[in-house]
Amino acid sequence: MSYITPEIQALVGVTGPVQTAPLPLGADTLRRFMQAVMDPNPVHYDEAAAKAAGFAGVVAPPLQPQHLFQRAPGSPDPFEKFKENADWDGMGGGGNTGLPKVELPLKRLLNGGYSCEFYQLAQVGDLISRQSRYKSITERESSSGPMVFINIETTYTNQNGATLMRVVQTTIAR
Amino acid sequence: MTQDIVKPLVFEDLVVGQEVHTLVRGPITTSHLMRWSAAIENWHRIHYDHPFATGHDKLPGLLVNGTWKQHFLVQMMREFLGPTGWLWKIDFSFRKMDVAGSTLTAWAKVTDLQVRDGLGYVTCEIGIRNQDGQESTPGSATGVVALKGGKPVPYPFVPPHD
Repeated sequence: MSYITPEIQALVGVTGPVQTAPLPLGADTLRRFMQAVMDPNPVHYDEAAAKAAGFAGVVAPPLQPQHLFQRAPGSPDPFEKFKENADWDGMGGGGNTGLPKVELPLKRLLNGGYSCEFYQLAQVGDLISRQSRYKSITERESSSGPMVFINIETTYTNQNGATLMRVVQTTIAR
Repeated sequence: MTQDIVKPLVFEDLVVGQEVHTLVRGPITTSHLMRWSAAIENWHRIHYDHPFATGHDKLPGLLVNGTWKQHFLVQMMREFLGPTGWLWKIDFSFRKMDVAGSTLTAWAKVTDLQVRDGLGYVTCEIGIRNQDGQESTPGSATGVVALKGGKPVPYPFVPPHD
């Protein structure tokens, strides 16, 4: 029996809404990010170093735009969930692409990995948007049973419509 | 923080099969994981709540975030390519868990070298191994660098036509 029903197959190629980050990339957000990832590259904090390297100003590292889609100011606090369920695992939030869900009777969802292509870096002050689509949904038999591979491609753009990167995330359902 | 010492990359000196760059971070403590989770607002408790990770989710410890590991690989490749190189592509799979307390090494080994349109393309096998040599995040990456005396890598980067 295949888990990939005609309804699931029809999701391939389906595109989600364009989502725009709640705020432009701030210098302080970038500072905290660089310190947490422990990357000392001065193009990420020093204007002169960034310009010497050919950028118009301080830039973010390639994958940082992935983390700019956090909770908007004024939106509900996800930690309210703890009142209903003290065992809530804390997941959700910035990863919601707005795509329709793939309904599978498989319990475990694993982040299989990423495939990324970079064209330019986000600059401090940029307002980043993204849009996702189902690139492929395939099934494979493994020693522990069937596994479904869901590939979602997300394209990130800046406020001028320039494409910064494309990221394909593989989610494995088993 | 100590700056990592990086030799300038010369495309013409690269050889297929050569391990060209490593970047070491660690031990990655619970504090590192908390700082990362807070910076990116990832509240998944398996990264900072030890009783939840080991009791509720039956994990061997607090897990090093996959999102941290992906930036670690990107950082390692960008260090290798140098300030005038461009990391064009990277892919990796999360195959094994890394737990808090690990010392991690991101590494790159050259698998292919090509000259296209006057630029050098270097493709590497990449990964992250822990202090016991166990590999958790295998993948590959392709960077673009200028040739000796050649034109600079354009920015924004425009991929070559196949």
